[in-house]
Amino acid sequence: MSAAAWVCLLSPLAAALAITLAGNGISRRAAGYLATFSTFVSFVASCVVFFAMLGEHAEERVHVTTLWAWLKAGDFHAGLTLQIDPLSVFMMLVVSGVGSLIVGYSIGYMDGADEERRYFAYMAIFVFSMLLLVQSGNLVLLLSGWGLVGLASYLLIGFDQHRPAAIAAAKKAFIMNALGDATMALAIFLLFWRTGVVDYLGVFDQVDGLSQTVVTLAALGLLGGAVAKSAQIPLQTWLPDAMEGPTPVSALIHAATMVVAGVYLLVRLHPVYEAAVHVQQLAAGLGALTLLVAGLIALVQTDIKRVIAYSTMSQIGYMFLGAGIAAYGNAMFHLMTHAFFKALLFLAAGIVIHALAGEQDMRNMGGLRDALPRTYYAMLIGGLALAGIFPLSGFWSKDSILASALAAGTYGRTLFVVGLIGAFLTGLYTFRMLFIVFYGERSAYAREHLHDTSHGEGPFSMTSTVAALAFLSVVGGWIQLAGIWHPLSDWLHVVAPPKVEPSALQDWVTSVIAVSLGLGGIWLAWLIYVKRTVAVPRVAWAQRTLEHKFYFDELYDLAFNRPAVWISRTLYRGVERPLVSGSIAATATSVREVGRTTTVIQSGYLRSYALALMTGLAVLAVLFVAFR
Amino acid sequence: MSGWVTTALIFLPLATALLLWALPWPRLWAGSVATLVALVEVGLWIASLPRFDFDAGLQGEQRQSWFSDLNASYHVGFFGFSVWLAGLTVVASAAAIAYAWWAGRDRPRAYFGLMLFLEGAVVGLFAAQDLILFYAFFEAMLIPLYVLIGVWGGPGRMRATLTFVIYTMAGSLLMLAAIIVFGLHENTFDLIDSGTGDSAWVFLGFVIAFAVKAPLFPFHGWLPDAYREAPPEVSALLSGVISKAGAYGLLRIAITKFPESADDFRVPLLVLAAVGLVYGSLLAFQAPDVRGVIAYSSLAQLGLITLGLFAGNDQGYDGAVLQMAVHGLLSTTLFLLAGGIERRTSTGEFALLGGMARGRPALATLLMTTGIVALAVPGSAAFAGEFLILLGVFDQGWVWAAIGAGAIVLAAMYMLRLISAVLHQERGPAVTDAALDLRPAELGILVPLVACVLALSAWPAAISERAFAGDDATGAVEAQFR
Amino acid sequence: MTWYVVIAALLFTIGALGVLIRRSPLIILLSLEIMLNGSNLALIAFARHQGDATGQVFALAVMAVAAAEVVVGLGLIVAMARRHLELDVDRMTSLRG
Repeated sequence: MSAAAWVCLLSPLAAALAITLAGNGISRRAAGYLATFSTFVSFVASCVVFFAMLGEHAEERVHVTTLWAWLKAGDFHAGLTLQIDPLSVFMMLVVSGVGSLIVGYSIGYMDGADEERRYFAYMAIFVFSMLLLVQSGNLVLLLSGWGLVGLASYLLIGFDQHRPAAIAAAKKAFIMNALGDATMALAIFLLFWRTGVVDYLGVFDQVDGLSQTVVTLAALGLLGGAVAKSAQIPLQTWLPDAMEGPTPVSALIHAATMVVAGVYLLVRLHPVYEAAVHVQQLAAGLGALTLLVAGLIALVQTDIKRVIAYSTMSQIGYMFLGAGIAAYGNAMFHLMTHAFFKALLFLAAGIVIHALAGEQDMRNMGGLRDALPRTYYAMLIGGLALAGIFPLSGFWSKDSILASALAAGTYGRTLFVVGLIGAFLTGLYTFRMLFIVFYGERSAYAREHLHDTSHGEGPFSMTSTVAALAFLSVVGGWIQLAGIWHPLSDWLHVVAPPKVEPSALQDWVTSVIAVSLGLGGIWLAWLIYVKRTVAVPRVAWAQRTLEHKFYFDELYDLAFNRPAVWISRTLYRGVERPLVSGSIAATATSVREVGRTTTVIQSGYLRSYALALMTGLAVLAVLFVAFR
Repeated sequence: MSGWVTTALIFLPLATALLLWALPWPRLWAGSVATLVALVEVGLWIASLPRFDFDAGLQGEQRQSWFSDLNASYHVGFFGFSVWLAGLTVVASAAAIAYAWWAGRDRPRAYFGLMLFLEGAVVGLFAAQDLILFYAFFEAMLIPLYVLIGVWGGPGRMRATLTFVIYTMAGSLLMLAAIIVFGLHENTFDLIDSGTGDSAWVFLGFVIAFAVKAPLFPFHGWLPDAYREAPPEVSALLSGVISKAGAYGLLRIAITKFPESADDFRVPLLVLAAVGLVYGSLLAFQAPDVRGVIAYSSLAQLGLITLGLFAGNDQGYDGAVLQMAVHGLLSTTLFLLAGGIERRTSTGEFALLGGMARGRPALATLLMTTGIVALAVPGSAAFAGEFLILLGVFDQGWVWAAIGAGAIVLAAMYMLRLISAVLHQERGPAVTDAALDLRPAELGILVPLVACVLALSAWPAAISERAFAGDDATGAVEAQFR
Repeated sequence: MTWYVVIAALLFTIGALGVLIRRSPLIILLSLEIMLNGSNLALIAFARHQGDATGQVFALAVMAVAAAEVVVGLGLIVAMARRHLELDVDRMTSLRG
């Protein structure tokens, strides 16, 4: 089993190295196939691990395997250690499964793009890093995977290297994530000095013995990393900008896998968070806040990918909410279904963008239903799943989180209400997008640029992936039917037993309200954007606020970016230049001054020297006589 | 490991340098002979590694009386950490010499003689177990640098050399005074035989001398000019290897021989190191050219290493040694790459560069890889070193670790700025089609360096658990490396 | 004894004043000789007083040095005179930096 786990981890890395080292030695197509194949190998290996684990008794499903000691210093020891347990197997399956679908899709999407090989090498690096993140057995390796997915995300967002906007977005994403990495590192330091270990099991054993302050600070530090990676408030501003990257990247990294790493972290380290309940509640609160704010901003976005990006933030907000109220199984469930339907939405949007020669602005679309019927149905499935409509996957997973919130006390009920508002907004913004893109009149741009789609809506690699994801978005939710059938929660139970169990009544109530709200949102969107019987209310200040995304970017620019630039300039002018030029100039001047002063004595007159000599002698003689 | 290997490592390049100067070699031979000798050094070092017992103390020891009146002797040998630093020296020097050979330099006999002399002196510095010998090698290391910068440097070389001379002379004088006081007090100059000193003044003399050499804030006045004006391979050695001599001195002499003073001055020195770390990072962020960024990042990294050294625990010491090796390799690679870029575009100004990734995959891959490791992306060797250092210094107070972690975010900012200003965005005015991708010879020099870094990323424990006898850094320091 | 010392001091002072005041190199050389003789007188007088020959040996050494100095100095002055250079120490400045 551990061999399969290592194969799963290392196969994409090997592909990345092979593509990099081969350079021009392999064709572009071959690079794509190699990357897809290696990811698929990972998926097969994950399945092997899964079935092997299925044969084991539930209590014996936690395996730890170490290749070698990665970092050692005195008492500190961090091995190249994998922890293979139901949670990591679940994540491995999601990452490598969705990963191989999306990397395969890229073969068609990136066809003909410049430097395709580089793209596939980056993709393979990403899959490796993400697998490292979910498989690692200690906090240091977790942080390594954490940083490496950030790196891969940086590389892929900035794939179009000549576009300044892409590069700026890539840098922004990396730096905000580096901020999260830094707080995580501090939390790991703290945990190490208080427990003496960094592997999960060792830390969990001792977490009860830690003081409340320590455990709260550690949990906060780790939460910082989770919030940055999952684009939750207050470190959320990088995700919309990250849509500068190619669409498959957005699907894989910024929807299905990397951005949900924060949720994985909350679940994986749940003993720490359960010891620091307030931080856990904070995570739930941040999730609820984000789902609301992102849902509102999504209402005014005009870029199709940004709408989906904001909906991703909003959905991750649900997952944070679930993990924060200790409904771990449900959060992971939503993570999985979200990976399916969000990847589907992105990839379908990718087909639209592809068909319109790279256009992403929805105002230049419209009326595409006839031209791209299958894409329309794929997107409709994705949209319905996202809005949580029965019986698609999103319905089961989102409602299970909301039901758990309803069961989680007063705080939980508050979050429940926020979640319901979010459900309404989700229906509204999703179908606003759908209706604008596929209904109504075709825009001038669309009429001019739409490719001839009579030969199909895209290459086989793209359409087949979309079909597979559409299928998963429909049935993916059926592996867990609230109250009746819950193999997923049982599977994860040994790693992360949930603390809340909603009653059947709560499940029913939640489902009815949430679905009606979701349908209400869709209906409103229908009225506004198709029937046009309801006009969007014009409230200038609200619209401005939403369009400026609640002014977070402006705020951070004012609070961090400008001061940093100002300080570095001031230091250069005020300290560095005086120190460097000043020190040398001062040395030179002082030497010259001393010389000038002393040249006066050097008159060249023998007599004056002799006089000085005599005077000295006389003084000495007097002194000798006087102080005998 | 036999003592003769140590001596050979030191004197092979020195002797070759003398031969290069003294005999009338054909002009073209000088570079080949120097490269060959540098490679032999690397081979010698690699061959000696399996025979080195990392659980024991001083090895490869050789001792000959030198000035018996002063109790000064030719006493050399290696500890675990110094063998890594010697390895860094021979590897980086081989790369630098090979690069200079490929790039071609005027007056090759003089040039390559000086480079070899520098290499021998630095290896000797890391091996010396006698203060007088240490001082001799310390000065012997500086002389070739003065000439290399002053004769082969860029347009502002005179000023750079002058600054460098003034700073290092002042530092050396302080160190000489400190050595004399310490040696006369102990009645021996031998580092193994002598006990610990208790004079804060002598301690500070050593610290300032090493701080100038490293350099540490605020003694870095010579750094920007020297790193910008020197030939790229000399800058590579300056920042990759010579700067480590300062950090090595802090560890080998200042901390071990003056444990009480090191303890008393821990907080002020940590403050200086932290200020240097943040200050260097901020200045790197505003530097307008490639070498400026690397130079100030070097200042920041040395601050970080000092944080580790004065953390006073296993993690800090191990991390500092690991970081010295990793940063040495990284900044050597970065300066050589900067040299390659300047050769192609005849500028290092960001305003004139950009878009070099297109059509130059090898340059882009190498610069990207090196830059990304240098900004300590988690999972890389530099991350391992910084993690250990900050972990160690966290024990002295969380605030140091918090400053360090913040500086790593700044490192991401300036390194990404460098990468995208050179490689990405619109093509800069200085970047023409004549600016080719890296040539096979350059790849032959740079790829092994990057491969070393990547290998260390996969297994940083190779150094971190082999830096001190039995992986007991604190014990080894307290026993003064006996 | 006292008078020997007084005369020695007088001789020395006269010589010193001569060196300080006069400009001609010849006179300066003469004044130097007078100073040397003053010190010689003091040396011999004290040697005699102490009953020790060391001072007399010193005086002999001083005479030898003075003789050598006169040879070199007079040689230089004669050479200058031959070249019709002005014999004034304040004007001999061609070696001045």
